[in-house]
Amino acid sequence: MKEMVFAGSGGQGVLTCGLIMSDIAVSKGMNATWSPSYGSAMRGGTANCTIKYGDDYIYNPQQEQPDVLLAMNEESFRMFMPIVAPGGICVISDMVTCDTNIRDDVKVVKIPCMQIADEIGNPKGANIIMTGAIIHLVKDFTKEEAIEAMNNMFAKKGKAKFAESNTKALTAGYDAVND
Amino acid sequence: MAEMMKGNIAIAEAAVRAGVRLYAGYPITPSSEIMEYLSWRLPEVGGAFVQAESELAGINMVYGGSSCGVRVLTASSGPGISLKQEGISVLSDEELPALVINVVRYGNGLGTLFSSQCDYLRETRGGGNGDYRCIVLCPSSIQEAVDMVSTAYELGEKYRVVVVMMTEGALGQMMEPVTLPEFQEPKRNYWGFDGKYSYKKIGIFDRDSKKEAVELNKKYAEIKANEQRWEEEGIEDADYVFVAYGVPGRSTLGAIRELRAEGHKVGLIRPITAWPFPEKAFAHINKNVKGIITVEANATGQLVDDAALFTKKVLRADIPVYALPFVYGVPPIREIKAKFAQILAGEIKEVY
Repeated sequence: MKEMVFAGSGGQGVLTCGLIMSDIAVSKGMNATWSPSYGSAMRGGTANCTIKYGDDYIYNPQQEQPDVLLAMNEESFRMFMPIVAPGGICVISDMVTCDTNIRDDVKVVKIPCMQIADEIGNPKGANIIMTGAIIHLVKDFTKEEAIEAMNNMFAKKGKAKFAESNTKALTAGYDAVND
Repeated sequence: MAEMMKGNIAIAEAAVRAGVRLYAGYPITPSSEIMEYLSWRLPEVGGAFVQAESELAGINMVYGGSSCGVRVLTASSGPGISLKQEGISVLSDEELPALVINVVRYGNGLGTLFSSQCDYLRETRGGGNGDYRCIVLCPSSIQEAVDMVSTAYELGEKYRVVVVMMTEGALGQMMEPVTLPEFQEPKRNYWGFDGKYSYKKIGIFDRDSKKEAVELNKKYAEIKANEQRWEEEGIEDADYVFVAYGVPGRSTLGAIRELRAEGHKVGLIRPITAWPFPEKAFAHINKNVKGIITVEANATGQLVDDAALFTKKVLRADIPVYALPFVYGVPPIREIKAKFAQILAGEIKEVY
């Protein structure tokens, strides 16, 4: 079972990142849960969600120890970095400029998603770029599986017209990770 | 393939499929998606949706709908359910079924928006004035909740009682894969108004409450005998038996499986009906059990009262009963395990 926490400020799309991730897992026949922060946390401050997926039943759908943290801003980084599982991965955006070398047992990967979003002409695509990067880092799903599940998810929401730009964003994020 | 759905939305769609044709209520976090969804979905299937001016108005509209023999629904959270108690008591007195969903949030008064189980005693004891009980269902997954909606109406109509589905903020807001039930043809129950004044009349001065009490007790005894629902694991040889329901119940299942793998003889009873309480499960507990432990998302420990009562009633022994109240949220597996270690070390004392 994998646990991921995606965090950022409201509007940065971290909840959608989580939905894509959990949908990819379910499309592969796995169990998955998506638990958002809700209510007062959405008005200013940080928004975050916890995603768990795996072949077995998911007992606690909420935070225990994330294997992967996505921190879109510094506040999220400071809030959640302490709970990342030893050996885990923390993916940070180019908005995180503070000292990130605070734990030896967590690998920090910086993806300049805002810059990449500008380069590919999709300023709202930073969250999808990060999803692509995480798909590459965790290696549970191929890029093609991720793109297909993501596009299916948006098509069901009546947003099929964004398939091309979303595919481009996810691919850009995937390619931004060096093996 | 099962699809990711949000708890509140999946439950609302399951209600439509169970033939619900009236929803009346007032929004409150974390339950609002239920009514938001039904506001457009019920008119699509020829049902009625009313955003009432208050919770009190909403529950009385539900009372009206049930009087007409229609499957009716209202949903709210802690403080909103408090405001509905007068109507729930009236529905119970009139023996009219309805489904009331409480997406429980934490706190007294207006409280907070955190997921919780702080309404356990209120829901299981009949929260309004008088002397009635509602059947209380407490699902631990979205699939279980969805499958339970139809059962809730069948139980309500069989016994002519109000059924409360006690979910939690965590369950209402989360998403997981769900397979939705089939559509049922909506039905008009036989007791619905027929324009002939054939329905029983209940007045303050012309009723025989002693006779009614005998009937009421007979009905509740039948519900207790036939409708206890629970899941149990590893309790026959357990040194310690955990009792937990809802989302904390599934977290506790994870904890007991890990503890078993580490060599501890522990088991779990997960009530699916909080009323009637699954006392039959207690008959399966190891006679030499060393302790019963509840895991609850409230401050004071409420489930522990029932766990202790039925330990006494069924096991007939002076077994320590502990409470682990986590206040709000979903107790993490590692914290449940850490508290268990404290119980073993004698650092947490029994409540009873």
